[in-house]
Amino acid sequence: MNQQPFLRAFTTPAAFCALGFVAAMIAVLQYSLRAYVPGSLDPGGFTLANFSDLLKPLYAQVFLNTVWICALTAVATLFVGYPLAYALVHIANPLAKSALLVIVVTPLFLGEVVRTYSWIIVLGNNGFINSVLRGLGLIEQPVQFMFTTFGVVVALVHVTLPVMVIMLAAGLSHIDRDYLRAAESLGAGPIRVFLTVTLPLSMPGVIAGVTTAFAWTFSAFATPQLIGGGRVNMISNLVYQLGFASFNFPFAATLCVAGLALTIAVLAMLRLAARPFENIEAH
Amino acid sequence: MVRFWLALFALLISAPVQAQDKLVVSIWGGSWRDLVAETVAKKFTAETGVPVDFITGGTIDRLNKEKLAKGSPESDITFTTSHVGWLYANDGLFETLDTSKIPNAANLSEEARISPYHLGAWAYVYTIGYRADLVKDVKFESWSDLWSPELKGKLAAPDFDPSHIIAVSAMLSDADAAHWEKGEDKLKALKPNFKAFYTNDANSQQLLASGETPVQIVLSMNAYYMIGQGVPITLVIPKEGAVLGIDTVAIMKGSKKAELAYKFINTLYDPEIQAEIAKLKKGSPAVLNAKVDPEIAKLPGVFTTAAQWKQQINIDAKLRAEKTAEWRKWFAENIMN
Repeated sequence: MNQQPFLRAFTTPAAFCALGFVAAMIAVLQYSLRAYVPGSLDPGGFTLANFSDLLKPLYAQVFLNTVWICALTAVATLFVGYPLAYALVHIANPLAKSALLVIVVTPLFLGEVVRTYSWIIVLGNNGFINSVLRGLGLIEQPVQFMFTTFGVVVALVHVTLPVMVIMLAAGLSHIDRDYLRAAESLGAGPIRVFLTVTLPLSMPGVIAGVTTAFAWTFSAFATPQLIGGGRVNMISNLVYQLGFASFNFPFAATLCVAGLALTIAVLAMLRLAARPFENIEAH
Repeated sequence: MVRFWLALFALLISAPVQAQDKLVVSIWGGSWRDLVAETVAKKFTAETGVPVDFITGGTIDRLNKEKLAKGSPESDITFTTSHVGWLYANDGLFETLDTSKIPNAANLSEEARISPYHLGAWAYVYTIGYRADLVKDVKFESWSDLWSPELKGKLAAPDFDPSHIIAVSAMLSDADAAHWEKGEDKLKALKPNFKAFYTNDANSQQLLASGETPVQIVLSMNAYYMIGQGVPITLVIPKEGAVLGIDTVAIMKGSKKAELAYKFINTLYDPEIQAEIAKLKKGSPAVLNAKVDPEIAKLPGVFTTAAQWKQQINIDAKLRAEKTAEWRKWFAENIMN
């Protein structure tokens, strides 16, 4: 007797999607190996010239910038998200818990472009932060936040925060409370309980959150495009600048393939680094 | 069950069937769609009884869709920028136009006759726009004033198209867009003055309105929109002329409503419609017999005579289509990064 009678039916749509995804990836790979023909939409013959172009310092710099921005964003999001996730799991008052959940999750319901424009208002020369600093007499000239890596990372942290908090909260909620009570009964204070019990046991959630935040940020486009103003570029911005704005689809495809390879390599390294924490049991 | 999913999939991909009783026009969204809907389409429908349906999207999105639909186009008429029109034409996506079926096109300015496949619909310029309240020590009479050291870290330009400043740099180096390399050093000398590069009209507006980049190489129509919103922008036409931009119209090859499409284009070139477009967008009519409101006609960047059209910097659309990728790549490698 078939133990999973609906398996075939349920996996058929996923198979269609996978087929479409594979076809798209093959098209991108194929384009990356074709020559650009000026003034034409059709690519020319097969060539490796697009990949040799990637060796120019500009492109290597953008790839490094992308990894750096992703790492900064993932770490900063972790530091901002962990206390929120901790509070979300430990607050007893259901009303306060719901309010916190709404605050954390609401940004997901706004588009990335809307959120980014909000940050332009906050970070601009005449924006909220500079106005407050000027009002308090702390600065005379505005501090430059826009078009800097700092500004891009701040906005990306906001974009990434809901995902990080949800993943951390899932990790924290799986920790057996008996471990915490046992530590307390043995005389550990709240800080020691957190550092020696909660934090180690939440590492699987931390690793999942950091990895997801890193991968999530890797494909960021609107935020670095608008906050970076062409001065802070990530791979997706380069794909837009050189591919879509100038019809050089073969080179844009090459950047995509290289970006994908870099993402896979970095995530594989993260996974290797996280291997010692994989066997931690939270309950 | 697999057959059920296959049937559902087939149904979904065949769902967006075009209405057979409408003329379908492909154009950018937002105010551009509204512009054509409220002027040309309104009059066309009143005269023919045929409603107009719009497909909207970005320049490249629409180009890709039509390339994939080659032979059975999604639209009957396409509006696009002059140099992008050449990409459609080179790929065989546009019909060769029979201008005898467009009597109003007899009054088109010479510059608006882009190719046998696409004609100018209206024009605008990319020129210098600045916040006089924030930039007080610089007078903008020539393009070369952009190189002033006082403008260090104050300038913005479009990131999607560097052709304007590349053509200007070539011109200031006694060359033209076809020999743009002669202007490379000149353009590199402008690099310290760039503060940012804007992605779209909204981004340009935000950067100017906030004063983040008080000087811009800006689309004239966009500057007038901002002025209308109360942003104190001064738009100037340098003594060498502004960089002319032309949006074009064409009939898609394979359209089953070509006769109606010709009528639509003829309506577009109706002098009254052209004057209305000039008034609404504060751009130049493509025909020389439009009776443009004198208050609009005197605005910088609005041209109503053949002589005014000729005074501007006109980058050949076909050259631009061929060079855009090269220019864009050079600009990204040498100026933006």
